Amino acid sequence: MSEWQNLIPLADLEPDDVTPARIGKRRLAVYDRPDGVYVTAARCTHGGADLCDGYLDGNVIECPLHQGCFDIRDGSPLEAPATRSLATFQARKQGDFVQVKMPVKALTI
Amino acid sequence: MKQALTPLTQALGDNALVPRRELKLLMKRSNVPGLVHLFLWMVLLTFTGSLIWFTTDTSWLLAPAMFIHGVVMVHHFALQHECTHYTAFRSRKLCKFLASYCGFLLVIPPLFFRYEHCDHHTYTNQHDKDPEMIPLPENRRAYLWYLSTIPYWSSQFGGMFRRATGKLTKGELKFVPRSEVKKVVLESQLMILGYLLIIALVLTLSWWAPLLYWWLPVMLSEPVMRFIRMTEHAGRPTVADMTRNTRTNIVSSLWRFLAWNMNYHAAHHYAASVPFYRLRDLHEKIKDRVYVEPKGYINAHRDILQRVRAQS
Repeated sequence: MSEWQNLIPLADLEPDDVTPARIGKRRLAVYDRPDGVYVTAARCTHGGADLCDGYLDGNVIECPLHQGCFDIRDGSPLEAPATRSLATFQARKQGDFVQVKMPVKALTI
Repeated sequence: MKQALTPLTQALGDNALVPRRELKLLMKRSNVPGLVHLFLWMVLLTFTGSLIWFTTDTSWLLAPAMFIHGVVMVHHFALQHECTHYTAFRSRKLCKFLASYCGFLLVIPPLFFRYEHCDHHTYTNQHDKDPEMIPLPENRRAYLWYLSTIPYWSSQFGGMFRRATGKLTKGELKFVPRSEVKKVVLESQLMILGYLLIIALVLTLSWWAPLLYWWLPVMLSEPVMRFIRMTEHAGRPTVADMTRNTRTNIVSSLWRFLAWNMNYHAAHHYAASVPFYRLRDLHEKIKDRVYVEPKGYINAHRDILQRVRAQS
């Protein structure tokens, strides 16, 4: 079962950029865009680098290690060497928080 | 999968020299400064190229003209380097195109260089880990041998021909992702094909322009690029600490222009995602915490030679 969870306060969101967040043991990347917020896994599926330290241009996040790229909306790989999709999660702004919808069991993984 | 600790992750971490949001602002990219720089670059190339044009009948002036043009030509490496990091322009397509163009000019396969360079940033100046490491020469003879460019060209051409046959060394396979091996082989094959085509045109049409404006100037002036590249890390401690293992050189505005600001090398290694036109700003923020050679390339070589003497 999935539930909406508070992820980070809106005040902590880096404007028009990517912000690191954590829920349970899971590290996530939160993207602030004019049309809302997006959340993906924080770790690049290729080399394991932290995408929160990457470069966000529009809806594309560039990995800081090999400059592979992903679409933050659906996690699809756009540029080599990224070949596998990133996990993405439903997200929204609610009150003073960014919320993410995750399976309850995922919070402990 | 184990998390990879990139230099950028350290630079944006809690103990960073520059606050995260400040550094993120410096990382923002634009096409404008790069296009302006590129335009001036082409003006300079036209000027130095015209020096060759006007001296082709004056043999004693031709070699100096070729050398001057060659100094600009070999600095295409700086443009390729920036485009490899996608920090010369916001447009990735333009970066890719220019990285390929410069790589073809200088026999530096762009895709291979990109992956090699990623490991250079991850393991800067660490023995057996940094694939671009220029170690401190053992003695003066080794120092001059490196500057002669013979080992450099031998490695560039040898590596390209080997990879074109599909053979990558164990060391290369450490940094070239498995999914990219075929592309790396193909790019070497295409580059060789391109060179052969141009050689055929030179021979059949007696079209000497590539020789006069490209190959001879690059060969004549590559020692200058070796001289500069040696100052980036050689002689600095071989440790995983970029505040110590990298040397920033303070040089004149002309050299800065040619190097696309890569003389601020410690700043570049601190955060490789910062575009070339913001490196000076980053340098101002971290200059008291990194190694800076205030008297430029020449003094850096004095330091290198002192260390060579001390160890030999």
